[in-house]
Order: sequence, then C-alpha cells, then structure tokens
Amino acid sequence: MVGDFSVGKTSLTQKFVNNVFSDKYLTTIGVKIDTVEVDDTKLIIWDVAGRDSLSPVNVSYLVGAAGVVLVADGTRPSTVENLFDIWSSVEKRIGDVPCVVALNKADLSDGWSVSEETVNSLHDRGWEIFKTSAKQGDEVGTLFETLARKIND
Amino acid sequence: MSENTGKNLNNNDSLKRINEELFRKLQLAYFSVDSKMKVCDASKNLVNYGFPELKKGQSVEDKIDFMIGMDADTELELPVVSSPSGIPVSVNLMPSNDKLTVLISNAERSTEQHRMLQQAANENELLAEKQKKLMARLEQASKELEDKNQQLEEAARLQTSFISGVSHEFRTPLTSIIGYTNLVQQDLSKMSEEIAPRIVKQDNEQYLNAVQRSSKHLLSLVENLLDHGKLDSEEIVVNPKKTNLDELFNDVSLLLSPLSETKNIELNVNLDAPKGVDVVIDDSRLRQCLINLVGNAIKFTDIGSVNLDAKLDGDELNVVVRDSGIGIGREEMEKIRLPFYQVADTGKVGTGLGLTITERIVSLMGGSLSIESQLGEGTSVHLTMPAPKIEREIFSAEMGALPTVSKLKVLVAEDDSFIADLVVVMLQEKGIDVTCVANGALAVEMLQTKSFDLVLMDIHMPIMGGYQAIEKLNQLGNSAPIVVMSASATESDQERAAQLGCAAYLVKPVDVEEIISIAHTVTSPQQ
Repeated sequence: MVGDFSVGKTSLTQKFVNNVFSDKYLTTIGVKIDTVEVDDTKLIIWDVAGRDSLSPVNVSYLVGAAGVVLVADGTRPSTVENLFDIWSSVEKRIGDVPCVVALNKADLSDGWSVSEETVNSLHDRGWEIFKTSAKQGDEVGTLFETLARKIND
Repeated sequence: MSENTGKNLNNNDSLKRINEELFRKLQLAYFSVDSKMKVCDASKNLVNYGFPELKKGQSVEDKIDFMIGMDADTELELPVVSSPSGIPVSVNLMPSNDKLTVLISNAERSTEQHRMLQQAANENELLAEKQKKLMARLEQASKELEDKNQQLEEAARLQTSFISGVSHEFRTPLTSIIGYTNLVQQDLSKMSEEIAPRIVKQDNEQYLNAVQRSSKHLLSLVENLLDHGKLDSEEIVVNPKKTNLDELFNDVSLLLSPLSETKNIELNVNLDAPKGVDVVIDDSRLRQCLINLVGNAIKFTDIGSVNLDAKLDGDELNVVVRDSGIGIGREEMEKIRLPFYQVADTGKVGTGLGLTITERIVSLMGGSLSIESQLGEGTSVHLTMPAPKIEREIFSAEMGALPTVSKLKVLVAEDDSFIADLVVVMLQEKGIDVTCVANGALAVEMLQTKSFDLVLMDIHMPIMGGYQAIEKLNQLGNSAPIVVMSASATESDQERAAQLGCAAYLVKPVDVEEIISIAHTVTSPQQ
C-alpha cells in the first residue's frame, strides 16, 4: 500500500482485514504488516508510511512485494498526480509488478476533485482504478481481490 | 586442562556474558536462515516481540510474515516494522557465508518521537492544503460576487435608464393634455349662458376638472419615477440659492389647500422665521419635499387636520408635518421607507416613492428626516436641514416692475404639433406675436431673415435638433435669447444648455405663466 500521507492506506487495509474504520487520522511510521486470506491466496499486506513533501516512499519496504496498491485521496488532486512519481520509484526498485489504483474517500462527494483527464491518464498506464470508500466499504473488497487475482495470473 | 585453555574458557565465558548483557540491554533478538530459508539459529527472546519460537530446520516463511518473498542473499534495512506484539522494531537482514542473519531491535522510543513529529507535520500540511482550498473558494466566491454586483449595477442602470426614458416619453403627451384642458376650461368659463347652458357648463367643468386632476396626478407619478431614477444614478444635484421662505411656504399652502378642501380637512401652515431674512437653500427641492410630505399627510387623513409647522432656528430649518390620519403600525414603520412600498389595505394609491425620494433629497441637502406614528392616532414627520440666513435685498416698486410682453416677438421651434399649437395659442392669448417652426434647421433659417425677442427651442427634433441649432445660431452671432423647452429633465441636458449660453431651461409640461415670467426676465433691459 503506497501513496501520499493521509490518503487512507491504513484505513483501507483495516477495513479489508478487520472490517473497522476510524475517522481519526493517525500517521503510520515505517510499515505495518497484516495478513488476510483472499480466495485461497494469503495476502501479506505491507501498509507503508505515506509520502510527504520532505520524505519519499522508503522503497526498502517494497523488496519482495508481488503487487502494489497505489492509493490517492480523491478530494486532494495533488495526491492523484503524485501517483506517477511514486510508481516510478516502485518500478525502479521492484520492477513492473501487478498494480491497482484506489481513489479513496469516495464518500466525500462534495469535495471530490479528480478530473476526467487525470482518470484517463491513470487508465492509459493500464491500471485498474477503484473509487473506494474505507468509511463505507465501497469497492474495498474488489480492490484487494482484483490485485490478488492479478498476482496469481 | 592447561592454564591457557582455562584462560580461553574464561575469556569466551566473559565474551558470552557481555554479548548476553548487550542483547538484553538493547533488547536484540535474532535468527539466521540458510539459503533455503530454513532456520539455523534463533534467540529465545523473539517471543518478546510476538514472533513464534523458531526451531532449527523450520521454514522461516511459514513463521514470520515479513520474511515472505525475501532472498537469503539480500542485505536490507527495514527501519520500523510493526511487530506482532505491536512494538515497533528495526529489522536488519545481513547475508554472510550462505546464511542470512536477521537482527531485530526495539525501535519503540525513536518511533514514538518520530510519530509525534510526523503527525504534527502531516496535520500542518493538511491544514495548509485546506486553507489553500478555502482561499481558492473564497477568491472564487469573491469573483462571483463581483460579477453579480456588476450585473446588478448594470441591471439597475438599465432600469434607471428605462424609467427615465419612459418618464420622458410621458411628459410630452401630458403637456398636451394638461395644456389643452386648461384652454378648454378657460374657454368654457368665458362662454355665455346662451352658448352653453349653466347646467351643461357645470357638468363640463366637473368633467374637465376630473381630467385635469387625473393628468396632474399622472404627471406627479411620472415626476416621482423620474426623480427616483435620477437619485439612483446620482444625477440629482442640490443647488442652494437665496430663498424667501415666506413665499415658499405660501406657495405650498396655496398649492395644497384645494386638495385639503376637497377632503374637508383643515390645512394649517405656520412659519416662524425672523422678518426680512432669506435663507440659502435649494428652494425647488425643499418645495418638492414639503409637497410630498403634506400631500401624503392629506392623502392618509380623512378627518381632522394637517399642520405644517416650520421654524428657522439659527441656520437650521426645522419642519414638522403633523396629521390626524390613520397612522402607521410598528410593522409597517420599517418598510415605508423602501422604494415602491405601499401600506396595504389603505385604499390609497400612488407609486410608493414619495417618502423614499423625500428622504433621499433631504439627505442630499444635508438634513435628516424622522417619523413618529401610532396606528389610528396620526403621524408626525420631522425634517431638519441646514438653511444659512442671509439678509433680504429690498427692491423698489420701480425696479420690480415687469415690462409688458404684449409686443414681444417669439419664435417657437417644436416638432410635436399638439404642443406647438398649444404654446402658440397660450402665448397669443397674452398678446405675444408667435411664429412656429417644426425643427432646428427651420429655426436657424427663420432667425436669419427675421428678428425675434425670444426663442423657445425644443431639443429632440427631426432634421436638426435643438442643441445643433443653438450651436449654429451661436456661430452666426444670434442675439435673441434662447430658452430651451424640453421633456428631458436630466442635469446633463440642463448643463449643456447652460454651456451653450441658453437663457433658461424649461421642463415640459410648461405653464404659460412660467414662459411669461422667463420672457420678462430674459428680455428685460436690465439683463
């Protein structure tokens, strides 16, 4: 799980693994590791600390990863644009592994500000995009199940 | 056992103890695996971090999740990993000699400090992003508001322009209606009993009075609309000049007495001012305000009286218009000053502009207006405005005597045939020699062939308008005084006429007495 800080990586993981959600923002330091079974596949989810303007994603945490979930906040356009830079770092360290994109916080429809042009440019990379809501659970299961399937293919 | 061997044993023991002490203090745990990721060795304290106890030969990937996908020959540092116990640990993978040793140390203290700093930094950045977003929204809202304001200003300007235009267009036919009604009234009064029997004459006089009253009412509505538009576009300018208050209050009394008489209401006008003193004030605007206030008071009073009391106090004029009318309820009090507002259920009609206009004019004159009223007990309107005193000049009877106008030769340039005929008849009745032309070009032509004592010039005419004709006449050295007679009451038109050297500016509908008075002034030898 990689992306900018406060985009909801931990929330998505916790929703999927433990079916819990908290509105309170608590930053992740380093990496949190969770395990879950998806259709006979054991997913070890590495929830990596978010990128901020001063610290890039620590790619050491990506070593050994079979797939990546790129996470952005749909109410903060910069976090979506930053996915391209983040992916460059990921690809440089572990190669072109299966990847899915979560545009999270879909429940905040008033503040949603992802342009169609940006969505198209994400599609152009060949990534499957999911408008997720960790709060309401929308598309969360599909997101991880799709990645698991892509890894197994 | 040799002495050396004993020493070595002692050294190894102490090294082992030091190691153990170091591992204990740093809370270091470890395990090592071979190239097939099978456990070779492991510390017992792994369990302190929630990891399972590792036994030699076990596959590490089955026991420790973060080892899944790792190579035995990869050197790696994972600074902070959340261990199964929840304690953050630092993990170092160190390959050597076909073995991978993994060192795990407690990172709780450094992680907690890092978390606090990172949390604060991230929250600050989120706050900054929110602020940026809000600022952008604020800017957008401000821009939208500005656009809306511009649209509203444009709409208000168009509305004002429309009202002014319509009012202007109304004046011309009203001039005809009022003027011709006057003429018919005069003719009727001169008719003998044989031509018009008394009963018919009375009926006709009554009908004509009704036409006259309705026309004047319509004219006052138009005037109010026009003034409202002019106040909105800041076209009204106050022109204070020397004014005789006795005459002004007398005028108001004479003008409104017939209205109060028709309703059987007593109208009392009292002015308390030092004798022989004039004031500097815009007399026409003061007259307009008083007519509006007293007219309103009469309109809303069915029984009793209306009192207009004025007092010149130092350089301040205080006026009270008090009536015994229907009064104003508390709820209505706040609304009556709004333009076009009319108190419901009174059965009285109007534009709802009189009070608004009066208040705005009073304010322009540097004064203020207040209202006291109780429903069913009448209303008092208090008006205060600056009126600097000035000594009245005394004219002798000789100086004030007006020359006769009966021999005057007047040229009228007017394209509206109804108005032209009316003015001609009215002036001819006063013995004036009148020539009439239908446009400015004809007026110029006429003035080159014949001399006139006075020119009455309309502004909006076909072929050549009034201003163009005046400019032409100025170039030709015309000496006859020119008086503009127009339905346009805008300040800009009046200013332009003054700039062109016109002797006076009359706004339609004009009264014959007004023309005669101007004719006296502009043709008198003192001028």
